Amino acid sequence: MTTRAEFLHRIRTEMGRAPGPAAGATAPRPAPRERLEVLRRELSERWRESLERFAVEFERVGGVLHRVGDAAEVPGVVARIAGERRARSVIAWPGATLGVDVTASLQERGLDAVAMPEAEVTPPERARLRAVAAAADVGVTGVDLAVAETGTLIVVSGAGRPRSASLLPSCHVAVFDREALVESLEQVGVALEAWHDGDDAAGRGAAINFITGPSRTADIELTLTRGVHGPREVHAVFVERGLDVRHRV
Amino acid sequence: MSEPEPATPFRERAGQALDDRFLQEALTIATTKFITLRREAFDAFPQGDALRDQARAIKEATLRRLDHWLEMLIDNVERRGGHVHYASGADEARRIVLDIARRTGARMAVKSKSMATEEIHLNDALEAAGVTPVETDLGEYIIQLAHERPSHIIAPAIHKTKGQVAELFRRELNRDAAPDPEVLTQIARAELRQKFLQADLGITGANFGVAETGTVVLVTNEGNGRMVTSLPRVHVAVMGVEKVIPSMTDLAVFLAILARSATGQKLSVYTSLVNGPRRGGELEGPEEFHLVLLDNGRIRQIAGPLREALSCLRCGACLNVCPVYRQIGGHAYGYTYPGPIGILLTAMLNGPGSVKDLAHASSLCGACADACPVRIDIPRMLIELRREVDEQRIAPWPERVVFGAFARLLQRPALYRLGTRFGRLLQRPFARHGRIRRLPLFFGSWTRTRDLPPIAARTFQERWAELEREARR
Repeated sequence: MTTRAEFLHRIRTEMGRAPGPAAGATAPRPAPRERLEVLRRELSERWRESLERFAVEFERVGGVLHRVGDAAEVPGVVARIAGERRARSVIAWPGATLGVDVTASLQERGLDAVAMPEAEVTPPERARLRAVAAAADVGVTGVDLAVAETGTLIVVSGAGRPRSASLLPSCHVAVFDREALVESLEQVGVALEAWHDGDDAAGRGAAINFITGPSRTADIELTLTRGVHGPREVHAVFVERGLDVRHRV
Repeated sequence: MSEPEPATPFRERAGQALDDRFLQEALTIATTKFITLRREAFDAFPQGDALRDQARAIKEATLRRLDHWLEMLIDNVERRGGHVHYASGADEARRIVLDIARRTGARMAVKSKSMATEEIHLNDALEAAGVTPVETDLGEYIIQLAHERPSHIIAPAIHKTKGQVAELFRRELNRDAAPDPEVLTQIARAELRQKFLQADLGITGANFGVAETGTVVLVTNEGNGRMVTSLPRVHVAVMGVEKVIPSMTDLAVFLAILARSATGQKLSVYTSLVNGPRRGGELEGPEEFHLVLLDNGRIRQIAGPLREALSCLRCGACLNVCPVYRQIGGHAYGYTYPGPIGILLTAMLNGPGSVKDLAHASSLCGACADACPVRIDIPRMLIELRREVDEQRIAPWPERVVFGAFARLLQRPALYRLGTRFGRLLQRPFARHGRIRRLPLFFGSWTRTRDLPPIAARTFQERWAELEREARR
C-alpha cells in the first residue's frame, strides 16, 4: 500500500522537475468572518433588488416563489401547496431552525405533519425518522443563502436540519427571509469561507447543498424530465417581516 | 497499462460508428444542442471570459504547490473524522475500495456518476468481490443495465433511443413501460429509490476537493450525489489528485463556469459540499467517510508534456465541438475518456502507445481549445503526442518509412525539386479531374480517407523563379 509520505514524495520529486518558477506563498486574505460581516451590512441595504433578481432566476430554473408578510402565514402556504397535490404527509424542520413552527398548525388542518428532531436521537429512532422522510409527500426546510444570480437555495445540514427534508419528498418547500439573500456566487464564496473559519459551529452538519430548481435529467434523448431522484417541485416562501431562527449558521 | 486495449483497431471502431445511422443522428442532435446551450450561457455572461482566465490561473497556481494543498486537504479531512487513502494505480485504488467494502460488510454499493471510478474499472472488481454496484445517474444506470460503457462524459447514454431504453427496462427490470422519457424516468426513480435506502456503501468521484476546509464537492442534476453521500453507512470518494483547489472562493469561480460549459446551466441543480462523516445531531450522513487520492499517471505529468491536461474539469465541452467526436461518438475512442481531452487523458493513464492511432483522430482545428473553460491547448499536446508516438517508434512502419523519406526530401532543396519533377511523372495514372483519389500499395491508406491534390503542372517555386527572371529583364 502506498503511504502518505511516499505519495507526497513522488509529487515533490515531479514538482522539482517541472519547468517554471516555484510558487511563493499565497497572498494573505482579509479575515473571512469580518468580510462576511461587511458584506451582510451592504446586502441589507439592497435586499429588495436581490429578491427581485432571485424571483426571476428561481422561476427560470423551475421554482415557484411565494411571498408572505408574516411568518404566521407560512403554514397556510404549505397547507395550500399540499392540498393542491392531494398530499397527506409533511415533514418539517423544527421551529428552532426553520424560524416558524409549522407542524402544529398543519396537523390542525388535518395533515400528517412531523417535526424532525432538534438534537441527536438513537440509531433506531434515526432509522424510523428516515423511513418517515422517505414516505413523506412534502418536505419543509429553511434556507441559509438564497442566491439571486442563479436562483439557488443553499441549505446547511445539522441538528434540526435534516438533509432528507429537501431531498426525499417529491415536493420541497423552502422558507427564507431577507437575511438569506445574497447577490452572487462570489458572495457565496465569502460566506462559505466564513462558515469554515476556525472551529465548526456546534450543531452544524457535514453537508452543504446548493439547490437550483427541481431535480432534473435529460439522459433519455435529451428530453428534459423532472424529479429523477430529488424533488419534482421546489417552492420558496419569502417572509417579508422575517423569521425567528434561533440557530442560524 | 491500467486499461485494457480495445479488441478492434481504431479504424474499425470508427467505421462501425460511421455506419450506425441512429448513432449519427443522435450525435448530431446532442452535440448541436450542447453547443447552442453553452454559447447562449456565455453570451449572457460577460464576465465569463475573465472567470475562465482566473480559473486557469488557480489551477496553475495550485499545481505549482500541489504538495502543499494536498497535505492541507488530507489534514482537514482527517481532522473532521475522515480517512484518506493513497492509490498509485488503478489496481491499488480498486483494492482500497474493496477492502473498505469487505471490512464494512457491504453487499450493495450505490454510485453517483464518476469518471474516476470508470477509469479504474471499479464496477467489475466490486462485482467479482460479491458487492453489487448500482449506477444511479439515469444515463449510467441505463448503460449499466445494457452492459455498455458511457459514450459521452456528461450524457453517457446519448446513443440510446427511448424505445431501446423501454425495451431494456422490460427485459432487465420486468417493467412494462411506454417509450416515453417521463415514464421511464419515473420507473428508474422508483427502482433506484429502493437501492439508495438499502445500500451499505456510497461511492462517488469528486468534482473538486477544497484544501482549506477538507471538503469534497459533487455536482449533479438528478440528486443522486446527495443520496449517495447521505443515506449509506459508508461513503467513499475517489478523487484524482489534480482536483484539489485551495479555497471556497476559488470554488465559486469554478462553479460559475463549469455548468455553463457542460449543459449551459448557470449552476447544475445540485452542488453538494461534503465535509466528512455524519456529525452529532444529524439525521443523515455516513458513519464513515473515505477519500481515495488517485495518481494513476497524473503525478508524472506535473513535469510531463501533458501537464496542461491536469486542469481539465471534465465538462465535456470539447467533445461537443470536435468534428471527429461529432462523427464517431465516444465508444469508438475505445477507452474511458473520449473526445479531444480524452485522447490526452488516455495517454496520461495508459502511456503514449495507447494513442498511436487516436493521436491522429483530430483535425487540429482548435475548436476544443476555444470551448475549454480553462483554455487547455489540446491541439498543441496532440501534436506533441504525435511526435512522441513517432519518436518511440510505435507508429505503424509504413507511416514511419513514408514520413521519414518525406522529411529527408524537405530538408534538401535540390532533392525536393527533383522529387517534384519525378512525382509529376509518377502521378499521371492516378490524377483525375484535379484530384488524386486512389494510390497503390500502402500509400493507399492515405487516399482511403482523403484526397490528395496533384503536384501542379508548374509549382510555385518554378513560377517564382520565372517571375524573378522576368523582373531582371
